[in-house]
Amino acid sequence: MDPIATPFLGLQLSLQRLQTPTSTLLSDLHLSVPAGCVHTIMGSSGSGKSSLLAAICGTLDPGMRCEGTVHVNGRRLDTLPTHQRAVGLLLQDDLLFAHLSVLENLLFAVRPGPQAQRRQQAMAALADVELAAYAQANPATLSGGQRARVALARALLAHPVAILLDEPFSKLDTALRQRLREQVFGAIAQRRIAAILVTHDPADIADPARLTVLGRQSDHA
Amino acid sequence: MSAPTSAKPLVPQLRFAALALALSVGLPWAWSLTGALLAAGSATGWSSLAMDVQTRPALWMAVWTGVAATAVAWFGAAWLLAAHFGSLRWAALVRRLPAMLALPHAAFAIGAVILLAPSGVLVRLAAAALAPLASARGLVLDTPPAWRSTQDPWGLGLIAVLVFKEVAFLLWAAAAHLQRPDVARRMGLELRLAQTLGYSAADAWWRVAWPQLRPRMLAPLVAVLAYNIGVVDVALVIGPTTPPPLAVLAWQWLQDADPANNARGAAAAWLLAAVLAVVVALGAGAQSLLTTHWLRPRWSRGPRPGPVSDRGDAPHRSAGRELNATIARAGLHGAYLAVVTALAWASVASLWPFPDLWPQAWSLEAWGQVVQSAGTVGTTVWLGMTSAAAAVLWCVAWFECAPARWQQRAWALVYLPLALPGVLWTLGLHRLALDWGIDASAWGLWLAHSLCALPYVALVLHGPYSGFDPRLGAMSATLGCSPWAFVWRVKLPLLRGALAAAFAVGFAVSVAQYLPTLYVGAGRYTTVGTEALALSGGGQRPLMAAYAALLWLLPAAVFGFAAWVARPRHWMTPRHSSAGLAVQGR
Repeated sequence: MDPIATPFLGLQLSLQRLQTPTSTLLSDLHLSVPAGCVHTIMGSSGSGKSSLLAAICGTLDPGMRCEGTVHVNGRRLDTLPTHQRAVGLLLQDDLLFAHLSVLENLLFAVRPGPQAQRRQQAMAALADVELAAYAQANPATLSGGQRARVALARALLAHPVAILLDEPFSKLDTALRQRLREQVFGAIAQRRIAAILVTHDPADIADPARLTVLGRQSDHA
Repeated sequence: MSAPTSAKPLVPQLRFAALALALSVGLPWAWSLTGALLAAGSATGWSSLAMDVQTRPALWMAVWTGVAATAVAWFGAAWLLAAHFGSLRWAALVRRLPAMLALPHAAFAIGAVILLAPSGVLVRLAAAALAPLASARGLVLDTPPAWRSTQDPWGLGLIAVLVFKEVAFLLWAAAAHLQRPDVARRMGLELRLAQTLGYSAADAWWRVAWPQLRPRMLAPLVAVLAYNIGVVDVALVIGPTTPPPLAVLAWQWLQDADPANNARGAAAAWLLAAVLAVVVALGAGAQSLLTTHWLRPRWSRGPRPGPVSDRGDAPHRSAGRELNATIARAGLHGAYLAVVTALAWASVASLWPFPDLWPQAWSLEAWGQVVQSAGTVGTTVWLGMTSAAAAVLWCVAWFECAPARWQQRAWALVYLPLALPGVLWTLGLHRLALDWGIDASAWGLWLAHSLCALPYVALVLHGPYSGFDPRLGAMSATLGCSPWAFVWRVKLPLLRGALAAAFAVGFAVSVAQYLPTLYVGAGRYTTVGTEALALSGGGQRPLMAAYAALLWLLPAAVFGFAAWVARPRHWMTPRHSSAGLAVQGR
């Protein structure tokens, strides 16, 4: 509909329609998220929040249909397969790979290159989240908060241009939640990544000026 | 229950690969079925079958032994599940299932004969116990009793062997579902919830867990029934002879040199399939009536009345339940242990007159002969390895390439070979091999064995593949990993336990194949299984026992290898993961 003419640093979503085989979940949703900012999406269960994220990163179920475009930093993403989009993902569950150690989980996200250099990057990322001592550990033995931090470090190591956060704090207790929020939002601002956050918790809202509530008429940010 | 989310196809072009895979199996299967159909196309075959005096009693014998063994195995497995699931006893039961599955039916039957025969171990034990009593009366117990305890005319020995084997199979089929991490978690929560609503642990199982598990057990149940009604090798060893079950007659007619007899055998194979269909239809009708009118109202009837706090006997009753479960489990394990021990014992007892418990002379001669016939063992091993590998590779490729909808539709077809009598498939596979010019060749044998192993391998892999968290694929893609790299670096390593188990099951199925080996191989290829069966009628007890023991040792070794592959990773930290159980399947 609206070809992006001027280069814009950040994520631009122009969604005409998002459909399941039986119904239309979302229509006419347009978002612009500048790099380094977090746009929050709230809405009741089944309002299509998670499907919207799946559409942006390209992991929609086969039956779903999406009409619209996604651009990040002026580059069109929605025609690319997921692994070429460089859109990161953080979920409620950390989804660390159970057969890999903490360090190997991080190395999984580091681009190919000299082995020593890759390892150095991964170790540095691990140190950033204060978990350097756990490099060789089995991820299953870590606490929920530690695993969430490893997942964050892993997502950042892939150098995403945008990141999607699907209730990433909801499984943590209040104190941990606040700490991880600061860590995540800090990393997003520092690395100038455009982020979309889906949540049920009003305390998660990063910036009240960038908020969309789905399932109501006022869908425009 | 949540619908299984099958693996998504990676790219649409993979549909061509999926189509090729479907054809590579669908074509030989369709060809086999058609060939079997054509073989039974002559009216003379059917009329000679109808006129044969043996047909009717043999048919009833097949139905009686098949249905009785299936029913006892079904209720036995259901009871064992109820008594074990949700406690540590369940792990003890599941851990030993592979060792039990590895023992082929025929080897179990041969071991059972060594135990149960009139001159068998059990009678010797009884004679030893009764000897003081007998000598006091001036009697000497030096001849075996004149009863027929192995090929008894009622088929009880046959039924017993089938029950022990099929209980293990049904438990394994249940475990394959219940061990899925998502299912295990959910089932555990639901059972606990039911107990908070006032149901005892046993009531909670029968009203919450079993009604959900039972529908998934119906396909394995049909497979068990088909196997039991159409069984040949076990019946040759321990089954009745006057009349034998119809499948044995069909097999003898099919092997006859006279084409007229072959046509009669083909007709008998189809008659078995028809009878099987009738039994399944009657059973399905009965179970649906029973479920709607009797079971379903009971599930939601509410907890049993009576103040819970007044049940002073509750700990006592649960202790009784535990004791029963332990006895039943010990009985199941004990039977397998006794059979394997009897095989090992008999294989080295060269001179062992009745009623001695201890052989008079030991000898490794039988094992020496086994070693000399290394070609037989070699054939068994390469056939098992190649067909198991082919079946596993096919399944992995199919689960990765085929769209979810294809996989759901194909499921019934993959199962079909398990739901038809073995003689019928053997007849079809033979026709296929003849038509394709690969009969009596290694290729033909490999194709037949691979096709026989495939449904079982698919059965093992279906659960782990459909339980695999699809979000892991999405997560790995967002980290820049291509779909193929994801399969190679994440999916297969995480599923390595299931893949190794599937390979072991495929190997065990191949090793146990008797009919196709003999028929498609035209007798040119001897395997450990065909040797053991060929010796089962004769007097070379040590050699027979050695081959039968090997029939268990080979698959058991591969199952051991599978367990080694699936072992939990060793972590280089002071903190070790608490147990392999937590890691398994994640």
